[in-house]
Order: sequence, then structure tokens, then C-alpha cells
Amino acid sequence: MKECKDIQNNLPLYLDDSLSAADKKSVEEHLKICPQCKKTLSQLRKTEAWVSSLQPVDTPPRFRQEIMAKVREEAEKKSFVQKWFYPLQIKIPVQIFATVCIAVLAVYIYRAGEEPMKEVVPSSAPTPVVEVQKSPLSEHKTRTSTDTKDIQQEYQSKQTGTMQKESVAASLSDAAGDVKPWDAKGIKADKYESAPAMESPGLTAPSLERKKDMNLSGAVMKTSRAPQAQSFVTKPNVLLKVPDIDIAAKEAEKLLRQYEARIVTRQIMPDKILITAQLKNEKVKDFLTRLNKISPIEESVLPVADTEGNVSIVMEILNN
Amino acid sequence: MLWMSNITNSAKAVIADEDLKYVFLCQKGDVDAFEVLVERHQKKMLNIAYRIMGDYDEACDVTQEAFVSAYKSIKKFKAEAKFSTWLYRIVVNYSKNRLKQLNVLAKHEKISIDDMEANRTDTTWGQAFTSSSNPNTHMERREREAHVQKCISLLDEEYKEVLVLRDIQGFSYEEIRDILKIPDGTVKSRLSRARNALKDCLTKVIGDL
Repeated sequence: MKECKDIQNNLPLYLDDSLSAADKKSVEEHLKICPQCKKTLSQLRKTEAWVSSLQPVDTPPRFRQEIMAKVREEAEKKSFVQKWFYPLQIKIPVQIFATVCIAVLAVYIYRAGEEPMKEVVPSSAPTPVVEVQKSPLSEHKTRTSTDTKDIQQEYQSKQTGTMQKESVAASLSDAAGDVKPWDAKGIKADKYESAPAMESPGLTAPSLERKKDMNLSGAVMKTSRAPQAQSFVTKPNVLLKVPDIDIAAKEAEKLLRQYEARIVTRQIMPDKILITAQLKNEKVKDFLTRLNKISPIEESVLPVADTEGNVSIVMEILNN
Repeated sequence: MLWMSNITNSAKAVIADEDLKYVFLCQKGDVDAFEVLVERHQKKMLNIAYRIMGDYDEACDVTQEAFVSAYKSIKKFKAEAKFSTWLYRIVVNYSKNRLKQLNVLAKHEKISIDDMEANRTDTTWGQAFTSSSNPNTHMERREREAHVQKCISLLDEEYKEVLVLRDIQGFSYEEIRDILKIPDGTVKSRLSRARNALKDCLTKVIGDL
């Protein structure tokens, strides 16, 4: 029985004559003695005959044309892609093309992100200028017919006042949340900076000297970088020519202290000394008289007093 | 054109492949050359698809898809095998995939696959052999062929494809091995089981053969 099963497994291949010689011989010997396997072989032959007699089906009409229409559609798609990607018939590998695209995109994104950064970074750093600008400019808003020079002078005096340690410290803590108003007011302030008094030489040196005196190096550094730094530059309104500028400067400072001058600063330059101070308006005349006794005043054009009655004196002491 | 077979034997055989000339033209972008290949192989492609699927319309669709797919990837054809072998492998794979999709759909819709296939066979014969001149002979023959096709459709996929390629399309064992990418022994064993299974099925359907 087991032999029959093995033989029947081999019968389909026996039909094909694709069995090995040994298998073929054992099948043939078995078929001689087994009618059941012989019948199975007969059934297999009939089955094979039926299967091989199956009529092939014909293709439908216009089958080839339909296939070719689809193929041509596909070919057009292909040539469209080739036109775009290989315009010079140079076959660039897709990987290289993709890499270049990514690189270009990365540069574009990086540069697009850089512009907002430039705008944000300076305004995010709190500077004393923020507070300094606020008060005079808010007053400028209310004035409609003020002389430019007056505004400048008033602005200078205000500015000097706010450079005191206390107010600067306060401004440092307040400024951070006040960026936009500062920007708007800063534009207005620039208008006033176009006055001739703002364009005096020696911008950097006096600024640095003042920085030392006021012990506010960080804040003043930022101030000097900002466009508003020009507002610190002042034109001397008292000119002294003396044989020894150091002695004259000491005497002038002594005199200023006697007249209760405020915010006295000294800026030492190679050939001159610049002293700035604020005096009460009523004391200016006496001060100048006494100063004239120490050393003859060459020039004296004092500015008008501000709303609090203070006059800014910028004294330039030169070698005779 | 010559085709170097590196699959058939360890020793390379040189076999003529008349398709290669047109294949090279296609690879250079000549679409019209592909039409020659379609003309040559469309009927065999359709019959392979039809015998595997048992549905004439589906077979037509699958054959079209297989040709388009062959054109799209014709540049990948390296002439390591006969072009026809490569082409028939595509249609066999497309037919098997489509059949799986149909079976899933049929199961989903709770339709008996047997009924579906019987209906398909009937309509197919109606469409493909309407030019018959002797109705009686053809009625008998048609009925018998319908049974055979039904039994083929009921075979397992792996038996069906071997049987179709060998007993209906008449491919050699080597060609079947190349088309299906299966070893020689597997071709033989599958064919043996396929024939026995078909014989058993026909015995059940028709009675004593």
C-alpha cells in the first residue's frame, strides 16, 4: 500500500518521462502488477489531455493599441521628468541632486532666520539709554514749537542727570520690558541729534573717560555703541588757555565744588582737559567771575538753564 | 541576438533571443519598438493571466498592467535571462497579487469563491468562443473545459502556476524554474502534486474519468 502511494507520487512525472532511470524502472514494474496504479495513470493521462486541449483565449479587439496608449502615456511622463532633471543630457544621480537641494534649503533657512535675530538681539539687551531717552522724549512729544538748540541743551542736562548711579541702576532693571516704545522714541531723538553741537570731535575718548568716573563700564559701553551715544558729546562753552593745564584743572574743580556744582567730570586728553559740571543758574555768573581771576576766559557761551535751573558747563582747558 | 544564460547550467548556454533587438531600442527610448514586443507576447501573457485567475476581464487588465510595468522597468532588464521569461514572470506575479486582492474582497463580501469562479468561467467562454459553428460539440467541450478551469482555480497558488506554465503553456522545466525562480526539484514536486490534485478534483466533479 505504501509502495502504491510512492508510485502514485511519481506517476505524474512518469508521464513527462522526467523520472530517473531507477524510478522509471520501479514504476513500470509496479504498474505490471497493480491495476489501481494503472488506473490512476490512465486518469492522469486523461487529465493531462484535457488540460493541454484547453483552447487559448484571444485578446480583445484593440488590445495592443490600448496597451501602447498606456505605455506612451508613461513614456511622456518619463520624458517630462527627463526634461526637467536632465536639461543638458547630463545624468546627475538623484542622491547628488537631493544633497544639493538640502544644502541650498539649509542655507536659505539659516539666512532667513538671521534677519530677525539681528533685530531682536540689540533691543533685548537693556541699556541705560532706554531710560535716558524716555524722559526727554516724552517731553518733546508735548512741545510743538521748541527751538532745536534748546531741546538739545535740555536733553544734555537731563541725560547727565540720569547718569547718576541710582537712576542708571533703576533703568537697568526697568528697561527690559520696554523695547518697542524705546524704538519709536529713538527715531524721534535722532532728529535732534542732527544739531551741530552733537558733531564735536573726540567721541570715543570722552565717553570712555566718563565711563571710568561713573564706574558703569558695561552700561556706557552699550551706550557708546548705540546711535544715541552722540548725545553725550558736548561742545565746550568755556575756553581757558593756561600755562599748566593740570593746575588750572584742579583749581577749576575746586572752584566748582565751592559753587556746589553737580556731576563734575574730568576728561584728560593729550593736549587739553575737558571738565563738565552742572551749576545752578544763579551761581554761574559768580563762578565765571572767579574763574576769570584764576585764568582769563577766552570764550564763554553758556547755554540756557533747564527747567530745574541748572546750567551745563563744559570747560576746555588748553595749554597756552 | 544572443542571450547568455547564467542560470540554466553552470556552463553557460547561448540561446537566441529575438526580442533583444527591440528591448535595446526600448532602453534607448524607442516606444514603437515596444509595440513589437507587445504584439509578440500579448496572447501568451493574457492566457497565463487568464488561466491563473479564471477571469477574462481581470486577465485583460492584469496583462495591460504587466506590460506597462515591464516598459517602466525595461532599463533594469540586464539580458541575464530571456526577455520573454522576464516578461512572463511579471504577469505571473501581477496575476497572483490581483487574485489575492480578489479573494480578500470576495471573503469580505461573503461571496462564495466557487460560485464566483464558475460564473466567471461561464461568461468568459461566452465572450471568448462565440464564433463556434457546431453548438453540440462545443457545448460538451465547453462544459468539460469549464470543469477543468474550475478545478485549476481551486488548486493552491503554487501548484496552479506550475501547472499552467507546464501543461497549458508548454514551458520547459528550465523555463518554469527561471520564471518562478524556484529550484528544479521544487518545480517537479509541485507539478506532480498539482497533476494529482487536478485529477482528484476532476474525478470528484465529473465522476470516473
